[in-house]
Amino acid sequence: MMDPVIRMEGVRKKYRYFALDNIALELQPGQIMGLIGPNGAGKSTTIRILMGLVHQDQGDVRVLGYRMPAEQIAAKWEIGFASEDMRLYGAMTVRWHMDFIRSIYPRWDEKYAQLLLKRFGLNPEQRIKGLSHGQRVKSTLLLVLARCPRLLVLDEPTTGLDPVARHEILRELSAVMKDEGRSILFSSHNTHDVEQISDQITFIDRGRIIDSMDKEAYLDRWRRLRLEVPLGVELPALPGIIDIRQDGRLAVATANEFVPDLANAYENTGARIQSIENMTLEEIFVANVEHSREEVGA
Amino acid sequence: MNGSLVRHMIAKDFRLHRELIIISTVVGFIGLAVVQFRGLTGLFGIIGFFTTLIVLACILPQASVVMDRKGQHLTFLMSLPISATQYTTAKMLSALGMFLIPWLTLVIGALSIILGSDIPDGLIPIALVLITLPLVGFCLMTSVALVGESEGWTVGVMIAINFAYSLCWPLIARNNELRSGFGSSTPVWSPTILTLLGSEFAVIAAALAITYYLQSRKRDFV
Repeated sequence: MMDPVIRMEGVRKKYRYFALDNIALELQPGQIMGLIGPNGAGKSTTIRILMGLVHQDQGDVRVLGYRMPAEQIAAKWEIGFASEDMRLYGAMTVRWHMDFIRSIYPRWDEKYAQLLLKRFGLNPEQRIKGLSHGQRVKSTLLLVLARCPRLLVLDEPTTGLDPVARHEILRELSAVMKDEGRSILFSSHNTHDVEQISDQITFIDRGRIIDSMDKEAYLDRWRRLRLEVPLGVELPALPGIIDIRQDGRLAVATANEFVPDLANAYENTGARIQSIENMTLEEIFVANVEHSREEVGA
Repeated sequence: MNGSLVRHMIAKDFRLHRELIIISTVVGFIGLAVVQFRGLTGLFGIIGFFTTLIVLACILPQASVVMDRKGQHLTFLMSLPISATQYTTAKMLSALGMFLIPWLTLVIGALSIILGSDIPDGLIPIALVLITLPLVGFCLMTSVALVGESEGWTVGVMIAINFAYSLCWPLIARNNELRSGFGSSTPVWSPTILTLLGSEFAVIAAALAITYYLQSRKRDFV
């Protein structure tokens, strides 16, 4: 097995009103990981620790085999990082920024940069301050992609974009992955974007990783069961069921480890299964966060 | 490779702020040209000359350092293969360079005017003390902008430094020992003058050293 491109173990970082607690992450080469969490969950702090911009209080962080933050300079030659709060120089043109980055990175691919200019509909002579938000994000992404990094770390890159711009960016990220040696860590609170391109999904909430697995595994394991419950029947707490909400004779059970035997177990109590539904990633995310918060609060 | 990246960062800052450097040098020279006139016009020239240096000392730390953070360019820069210490080195060198180019040009211009005109050469020492004050102010503001990470702190220090200029001028003008050398045909490097100049450069060295030390100890840079 190849060494992971990202490995975080036991990472802790304490602020006055927020703490990252025991963060563990692993991303294999050639994979796209979506890091999903609500606002203030710790996505950006986790990514900043990965980039060496924020120093962890405890724990081990390795990116592309480099220890962070100590070896951040060597690591950053091979990482393309873009974040939602990153701004280019408004008074300067796209071309000026391209020349600046090209002068730094020997691996800069000018042909690819020209191709991206066309695909993203960018005018290189236009000043950044004259660009729309979507065009600014695309310009930033162009600067990151054309330096041909082994690892892309993107913190909320699609936030505030219209659906067309989001689609263009996600399509380009998918295209990048045709080169199997590359990997992407992509944070967002937009589960739809993450669902489109990710192989692996990690949920983070209130500074803790609450779940991390393959996207397909999530979609396979999570189900919503709609039940009709006769009077006098009490639904048992079954393993694999994380939530039951009952309103009169109708109940909805959420399973995070669904197996057909669960439905049989409910039917044996006298309840009738109305439907077993697949859940979207957003529904899985919300259910996961609520379950995690209940567990922490209990 | 990393030394080269620091050079790239410095070159970038020079490209971003070259208009400011050129304009301040030209305006300073206009002030110097007017200094040679007698009476009120000459006084306007002196005021214009020093105002240029003081304003440049205020604007440069804002434009170069504070705007990196306020304009959210810092994340972009720190995504490049550079450490926080190297960023600080690049910023300090570029800011100093951008200030020293007009400052040194104007110092040479001012000395040339004093030496080449009937203005007494005895004014040279005190002129150097006064011209160095904006350089001290600039270094303090740059240090606070880098370490304090806040526009509020930088503006606060800017106000304090401008208040200090207003105090220094009359204190120097009222000092009998200093005044006695003003009319001399040769520069008088009295112990007071040397102490003042030495103190100014000591403050500059201390500000830069403390900035470097504090920046290298930061655990959260962005």
